[in-house]
Amino acid sequence: MKFIYQSDVWSLLRQNISKGQITGYAIANIVGLSVILIGILFYCDSQQDNSQEDQFFTSDYIVLSKKVEGIGFSPISFSEEEIKELSREKWVKKIGRFSSSQFAVNGSINMGGKSLSSYLFFESVPDEFFDVKPRDWTFSPQDRFVPIILCKDYLTLYNFGFAVPQGLPQISEEIVGAVPITLRLTGENMVSEYFEAAIVGFSSRLNTIAVPQSFMDWANKRYSNSNNIPNASRLIVQVDRLSSSQMYDYLDKHDIELAGDKAEDGNIAQFLGIVSAVVTTNGIVICILAMFILVLSIFLLLQKNREKLRNLMLLGYHPQYVAHYYELLVVIANITITGLSLAITFVARTFWTNNLAAIGLGEATLIPTLLFALFYLLVVTALDLFIIRTRLLRIWNNA
Amino acid sequence: MIKSITLQNLLPFVFRGMEASDTIRQSQVWLMPNLSFDRGCRICIQAESGGGKSSLLSFIYGNRNDYEGEILFDRDNSRHFDVKKWCQLRTRHIALLPQEMRMFPELTVMQNLQLKNKLTHHKTRDELMQLLDRLGIADKANQRVGLLSIGQQQRVAIVRAICQPFDFIMLDEPVSHLDRNNNLIVSRIIDEEATSQGAGIITTSVGNPLLLENARFIAL
Repeated sequence: MKFIYQSDVWSLLRQNISKGQITGYAIANIVGLSVILIGILFYCDSQQDNSQEDQFFTSDYIVLSKKVEGIGFSPISFSEEEIKELSREKWVKKIGRFSSSQFAVNGSINMGGKSLSSYLFFESVPDEFFDVKPRDWTFSPQDRFVPIILCKDYLTLYNFGFAVPQGLPQISEEIVGAVPITLRLTGENMVSEYFEAAIVGFSSRLNTIAVPQSFMDWANKRYSNSNNIPNASRLIVQVDRLSSSQMYDYLDKHDIELAGDKAEDGNIAQFLGIVSAVVTTNGIVICILAMFILVLSIFLLLQKNREKLRNLMLLGYHPQYVAHYYELLVVIANITITGLSLAITFVARTFWTNNLAAIGLGEATLIPTLLFALFYLLVVTALDLFIIRTRLLRIWNNA
Repeated sequence: MIKSITLQNLLPFVFRGMEASDTIRQSQVWLMPNLSFDRGCRICIQAESGGGKSSLLSFIYGNRNDYEGEILFDRDNSRHFDVKKWCQLRTRHIALLPQEMRMFPELTVMQNLQLKNKLTHHKTRDELMQLLDRLGIADKANQRVGLLSIGQQQRVAIVRAICQPFDFIMLDEPVSHLDRNNNLIVSRIIDEEATSQGAGIITTSVGNPLLLENARFIAL
């Protein structure tokens, strides 16, 4: 029977529809679905690590070095074979080599006419291994400017370990970044060149004074006479957290030391992931309860209208035709619920965007959230329609 | 088009075990090996209260199936009809006026009529008004059915029953609440409708039969 809307049939069937029940269902469902969608979107945002390359799953980073025993003069480093072997390990995702400066570095700052200077060293790793990626993280020989990333611990050490007992002021990252530094680089031929430099960022992953790899390559070539690239003394490794037990065995066996960084933001992401999972689970529970409310409401409504429905069927109305009115109601309700829940979710997002952005997370794609909303809409509606149809057929059969 | 309705050894479940009783043995319907109603017939089934005449009409109309035996529409066993087929029968081939009328008291007279008529597109609004007028209730067209007397409701239900084309019309005590004058009007209307379509009329009564000419009386 073709469905043509009849106001008489609708005015008959709508009489027992309880606005309270529909509203109750809608509110419960909006709450449940919003919580789920917020959970999903928050999860996506918290796993969207903007400070690194696009990675859906965050990883931990470790820094490996060989054990130094006694006093050693020959440099301890990883040979090519060792690196190759390491890269075959299951827990290793990516390996980056630390390159160290093959030239002397002297850095000086000018404080009110007084110049303070100190010998320094530089190291570099490929850009993808940094936990921060400042805007000025580039080098070209024409600019004569070297950006530097400092280990966060150094500043902490100064501020809390040194400055207070010495009566010196504590300084923030911003102030440190504003101090102009002059570098004097001296090569093996004893010729010195001067560069401007500034600290453009702080890393909690790299325990060193880091410069861009491009600068390191350029400077080592320019100031060092030997063409050999020295073996890497330290390695930074992106590890698969799931296989970490194998990692410890391997390191033990090969006398390799593991330094620091359990990737702070990796842990944050993990923590936020757990929070999202808990939130989403709550949402699912609420939604299931809401679905029960709807199913019960439909049962009740059809039961209350049973006589009317039977009379309509006796007049020759097909159960499916009659069902269309209820189906329409449910479809409209579910679309409204999904739409409102999405709206609530996007509003909720504005509350966390800034906070997540501050730790380099957030602004993930909306696709998983939208897909889930669509999935939910389709599944719940399909379930509702199924219930309505089977109930009406039972009424037809007088069961 | 359905040319005949045949009842073969029909017996409601409630009469099982009573096959030897006088009620069943004297019945001209129950357990008859081959009772046929043909298109164009005029049948009046008479029974005492509780004799099962409403059940009989419900069985034929596909509303209940708690019976033994078979009901054939031409040669097709009605037990095998699906929902779609029944809906088609109920809108094109068989009309029924149930004893309890099954009106919608919250709707007006016209809404009740249109509920059936919009399904069949059989009568115009003017034709419906003329029928109501003949039955003396044209002024009630926009009143809610729940506010009408039983006699008035019965007349509305009669009009609704003929809001469709049919090969057979079954009327369960159609005039039980009507006086002789209204009975005559109803008989005329039903007969006109049936005759114009060549349809059969099957009606029941417990003592106040529809006053059809040439009706064949059958005892249930």
